[in-house]
Amino acid sequence: MALSKDHMLNIYRDMVLIRRFEEIIEKYSKNGTIPGFIHLSIGQEAAQAGVIDVLRETDYKFPDHRGHGAIVLASRPEDRKLIMAEIFGKKTGINGGRGGSMHINDLKVRNMGFNGIQGSTVVTSLGTAFASVYNQTDDVTVVFMGDGTLGEGTCHESMNMAATWKLPLIYVLINNQYAISTPYTESHPQKQLSDWGKGYNVPSMTVDGNDIEAVIEVTQSAVDRAKRGEGPTLIELMTYRWQGHFSGDPAAYRPEGELEKWKEKCPIKLAKEKLLNHFGVHESEITEIHNWVEKEINSYLEFSLASPNPSPQDSIKYVYTDVEVEGRS
Amino acid sequence: MTRKISFSKAINEALHQEMERDEKVFIIGEDVAKMGGDFGITAGIWSKWPKRAFDTALSESAIIGLSCGAALCGLRPVAELMFADFIAVCYDQIVNNAAKLSYMYEGKASAQIVVRAVTGGGIRCAYHHSQCIEPWLMNIPGLVVLAPSTPYEAKGLLISAIRNNNPVIFLEHKGLYNKKGEVPEDLYELPLYKANIVREGSDITIVAAMSMVDFAQKAAEELSGQGIQCEIINPLTLFPLDKETIINSVAKTGRLVIIQEGPKFMGYAAEIGSMVYEEIFEYLKAPMKRITSLDTPVPFAPVMEDYVMPQYEDVLKACNQLMSF
Repeated sequence: MALSKDHMLNIYRDMVLIRRFEEIIEKYSKNGTIPGFIHLSIGQEAAQAGVIDVLRETDYKFPDHRGHGAIVLASRPEDRKLIMAEIFGKKTGINGGRGGSMHINDLKVRNMGFNGIQGSTVVTSLGTAFASVYNQTDDVTVVFMGDGTLGEGTCHESMNMAATWKLPLIYVLINNQYAISTPYTESHPQKQLSDWGKGYNVPSMTVDGNDIEAVIEVTQSAVDRAKRGEGPTLIELMTYRWQGHFSGDPAAYRPEGELEKWKEKCPIKLAKEKLLNHFGVHESEITEIHNWVEKEINSYLEFSLASPNPSPQDSIKYVYTDVEVEGRS
Repeated sequence: MTRKISFSKAINEALHQEMERDEKVFIIGEDVAKMGGDFGITAGIWSKWPKRAFDTALSESAIIGLSCGAALCGLRPVAELMFADFIAVCYDQIVNNAAKLSYMYEGKASAQIVVRAVTGGGIRCAYHHSQCIEPWLMNIPGLVVLAPSTPYEAKGLLISAIRNNNPVIFLEHKGLYNKKGEVPEDLYELPLYKANIVREGSDITIVAAMSMVDFAQKAAEELSGQGIQCEIINPLTLFPLDKETIINSVAKTGRLVIIQEGPKFMGYAAEIGSMVYEEIFEYLKAPMKRITSLDTPVPFAPVMEDYVMPQYEDVLKACNQLMSF
C-alpha cells in the first residue's frame, strides 16, 4: 500500500518514538533501576507500529510480552509517560506498578494487556471477538503472538474456534526467528509459520515485517475481512529482535553476522530512505522528528524517575471485586 | 411458593431464570446447547435462546479463555466443564487468567464468569471422572469456589454467582443431582462467603461440604441418640472461607471433626484444622480429626471405590474418640 507523505512521516515518528522508548528502558534495566525482566522489541518497530496504525481505539488489542511499542502507540499521547512509569514499577504507572513490563493494560483504549503465559491471550482474545458478534459491534480483535507462541496448544483451540464461528479476530504472529534461543525452524515443521493457518481454512500470509507499508496493507485487509464477517486471518510478519530474549541476554546462540544482516533491514532505516528518496523529504524534517522524540522520551523518563514507589499496602487491593483479603497487622 | 425439586432441576431453573432476566448471560461448553448438557443441566435453554447457548469443540482452554474475554466486554458467561477433572486441561486459563484479571485491571474489569464443574466420586467412573478437585483451586487468590449441598443452596448460590463479578467455580457434586428438596420458584440469592449452620449442637463441630453434609447429618442423628450433640457447619463458599462461623462454633464446642471427600494430604480439612489451632487453640478439648478419602486415585470397581472414600463408621469413631479424650 502506498502511503501518503504525511502518513509516512507520522509512522516514521511513531517508530522512532518506540525505538527510543526501548533504548531508554534497556539502559535503566541494565543499570538496575528497572526491576525484573524486560523483553525489548528493538528492530521490530514496523510490525508493531503498522498494525496499531490500522486499528481504532475501540478495537481490542492483546499485546505480547515483547509489546512495549504496540502498547505505547495504542495509548493516548498523554498516557505514554504512565506506561514508562509502570515499567519502572512506580505508583504513577498506568496500572499503579502492580503489573510492570509484561502486564501493561489500558482499558480505555482497549489494550487488554498481556498474560505472562504464552498462548493465554490467544484464547482470551476469542472472547472479545465473540463479544463483538454477540453485541453486534464492528470492533475487531488483534492478538499479537511470537513464533514461539505457536507451540502452545491453545493456538489450535483458538484458531479452530475462531474459524468455525467466523470471529473478527486477527492473529498477528511476529516471527522474530527465535523462541528465546531456539530458532523456529528447529521447533516447527513449516517453512513459514503462516502455513499453519491453512489447516483451519484461515487466510494466512507472510509479509516482510520490516516494511511498514506492507504491514499496514496486510493488516488493513485482515481488518476489512473481519468486519465483513468472514472470520479470522493469520498474518506472519518476518522480522528480527536485535537484543537477546531479555535485556541482558547476550544472545550467544545466534550465528555470527546474522544481527548485522538484519540491521541493514532496519525498519526505521528503510522508512527514512523512502522519505528521503521517494517523498523528497528534507533531512532537516527528519532531524526535527528526532528532536521531538528526544524531548518526548525525556519527559517520560523524568516523570518515571521522579515518581514515588507504590504503597506496599496497595498489594492487597483488587484480589476480589467485593471482599478484601487480609493485609499485615 | 416452594415445591420439591431435584438438585439438577434447581440448577437448570436458576439458569433459565437468569437467562430470562439478563440478556448478557449466555451458556457455553461441550454439548450444553442442543443436547442440554451431558447431565441434562442446561436442558431447554438452547430452544428458548438459540443465540445465547453455544456448543463448542472439545476445547476447555478456549471455553474458559473465551469466557474471560467476553466477561471483559460486560457479558456474563456460564461455562460448563462436563467433569471437574477437566479443569486440568484449562487450569492455566482459570489460575493464570480468570483469577488474576481483577488484580491486573485494578478492579476496572474482572472475569465475571461462572464455571460449572461436575465433581466428586461415587458413580463408578474411576480416576479421571471422580476427583474432588477443590484443593487445586483453593490456593489461588482471586477465585471463588462454591460447593452447594442441597437444591435450595444450588439455586440461590448459582444465581448469586452469575451476578457476582469474580470468577466463580461452581461445584456440582454428581452424587447430589437426584437429591430433592424444597426450592422457591422465584429468583433468590444466597450470600457468598457465608457458611451455613446446618444443625446446632454443643459437643462437636463437624465441618462438611457437598455430599459429605448428608454423611454428617446421619452421624449427628445417630450420635444424638447417644447423648452427643453435633453442630454441623457447611462452608458453602469453600474459598474464600467463612472462617468466623467455623471458629465461633469450635470455640463453643471445643471439638472439631472435618469430613472431606478427596485425598487427605493438603486437602482443605488440613487448612481448616490449622486455622482453628492457630486462632483458638486454648478452647480445644481434644485434637481435631479428619475423615477423608485415602491418598489414592479413585479406583473403578465399586468395592474399591467404596474403600477409598470417607467411611461413615470413621465419623462415628472419631466423634466418640473426641468425647472420651
